[in-house]
Amino acid sequence: MTQLTVSARPRPNPYLPIDSLDPEAELMLLHFGPQHPSTHGVFRMDLYLDGEIIVKAVPYVGYLHRAVEKLCEKLTYVQQTPIVDKNDYVAPMTNEQALVMVFEAMLKLEVPRRARWMRSLFAELQRIASHLLAIGTFSLDLGGALGGGSTAFIYCFRERELILDLFEDVTGSRFHYNTHTIGGNRHDLPVGWGAKVKAALELIESRMPEFAALTIENHLFQQRTKGVGVLEGALALELGITGANLRASGVDHDLRRDAPYSAYDEVKVKVATASGGDCYARSIVRVEEVKESIRLCRALLDGMPEGPINSGKPVKLPVQTKIPVGQTYVGIETPRGELGTWVIADGTQNPYRLKIRPPSLHALAALPYILPGQTVSDAVAILGSLDPIMGEVDR
Amino acid sequence: MRHFLDALKNVGTIAKSFVRPRVTVEFPKQLRPRAERYRASFALLHEADGDEACIGCLQCERICPSKVIAIKGPVKRDSPITGKKRSYADDFTLDLSACIFCELCVQVCPTDAIVMTREQEEPAYGRETLVLTMAKLYENEKSKTRAWGDGTKLMGMQVPPKPPAEAKPADAPKPVEAKPAEATKPVEAKTAATPPPEAPKPVEAMAAATPPPDAPKPVGAEPAGTANAPKPEVKADGPAGPNGGTS
Repeated sequence: MTQLTVSARPRPNPYLPIDSLDPEAELMLLHFGPQHPSTHGVFRMDLYLDGEIIVKAVPYVGYLHRAVEKLCEKLTYVQQTPIVDKNDYVAPMTNEQALVMVFEAMLKLEVPRRARWMRSLFAELQRIASHLLAIGTFSLDLGGALGGGSTAFIYCFRERELILDLFEDVTGSRFHYNTHTIGGNRHDLPVGWGAKVKAALELIESRMPEFAALTIENHLFQQRTKGVGVLEGALALELGITGANLRASGVDHDLRRDAPYSAYDEVKVKVATASGGDCYARSIVRVEEVKESIRLCRALLDGMPEGPINSGKPVKLPVQTKIPVGQTYVGIETPRGELGTWVIADGTQNPYRLKIRPPSLHALAALPYILPGQTVSDAVAILGSLDPIMGEVDR
Repeated sequence: MRHFLDALKNVGTIAKSFVRPRVTVEFPKQLRPRAERYRASFALLHEADGDEACIGCLQCERICPSKVIAIKGPVKRDSPITGKKRSYADDFTLDLSACIFCELCVQVCPTDAIVMTREQEEPAYGRETLVLTMAKLYENEKSKTRAWGDGTKLMGMQVPPKPPAEAKPADAPKPVEAKPAEATKPVEAKTAATPPPEAPKPVEAMAAATPPPDAPKPVGAEPAGTANAPKPEVKADGPAGPNGGTS
């Protein structure tokens, strides 16, 4: 951890009651969301406004709560993989991976090398798709500054579709893949898939300068994002923020490099960081990570080993997998940060407790700290730059 | 001034997109090609001799995470084709409106009776339309294109001797057009007979994508051809349950 930027601005206290900030009750209360299109799902904030300046922000989550953790307690281990796909619905591949990795850690199950490489390849492709969507929706949030913003959004969406088609070829599904299983993968790569991936990567790489010109190199984009929503590295660490949001604040932390899993001990990751911690830095980090992921995908594809893709027996009966008594936490680096799963097993085919630690929830925790002092229009930009996915915030 | 230059640059980018090929299709008139493994709906299959392949073993009902499959059975009765006594499912209902398309029921089916189809989405006006009854499932067998996967193939892909299993995507169209030969015997015979012609496929295909040596392939191909197909069938019915219980 190198030197962290510490600004002169005092850190606002989000726990201060509004009466102490506004004894005369002159502030305006604006309900931001939950059906607002820029809230990336259903998310509500109470914004106390002094003119256009936010004085206090109170975020509310839980509108998308689906009791996934409780449902996992009721389902057997082999049935949970398709359920957690729906948590982070922009990057489902990494959800499954996080879940089965914790089960494998508890069973002390060795995953074949080919399966590990395939998992890393899927995760990197998913990272490209997720970040493309993040860049696109962020420019949509900035709205008018970019001529409606929907140009960049549609272009990013178009390129993301290529990756979903690749996943469809392997797993048969565009989103809810259910391709990871305890001990390996369910679907092997079809013949000729590697060439398709390379063609898609080629295309996306050639379009990256266009996305950059439409977004991060655009002066209007820079004016809307530079110095907006500054998140200090120290605060980010306190709040448990991970992923691109943390790396944009100057903290060099990436589980793929710091605690290698799957194939990342053999394929090294160059971690992209930026200083500043503002919306612009977060966008820069995402664009850089797409480029790095394209490089990683090529390396993984070129070195894809032969061999089995599953170490255990294929799933046949739900009672087949029983995890011995114990508890384990495993975290992996998803496009949004550290997605952890903590499982307490009681020796049966169901977990006693399963806790999912979503990176987006921690990212939202920064809002009461970084929103005060900003304008309402910047609140939309800040929320978009944190790239939260409500499906995994509320679970 | 710099904003104007940015705008010009963006207009240039947008102009480039005008001459690029279109990526969207007009949906109802034109359908996108779907992948071999695409999963959209379900079908129940008949065996080669015209008998129902489902034996009502309830494995799919047990593994279904959203509990959309309901089976009455199994019942023992005389087969109308062979005259031998075997087990059947009395009734089979699959509620498509709650299905999450995880493909686990297809994977666990010991007789490859339930498979997925890869027709496009089918919107419906009511929930009742989405409930696939046994008659509808057997009708889907005739009217819809089958997806690639069935129990034997999905299981075969996951058991260690891999090369022949991996070559299967290439010959996927064959089972789609061919008469549903889903009886356990013909499948075994097919996989046992085909490995020699199939074996070279992954070699040439993987050579394009991945350079690593192809030494293990002939070794892996032999046990796969003989042991691959029968193994999941025999094991899953008998020893898998008690085995899983102890581990």
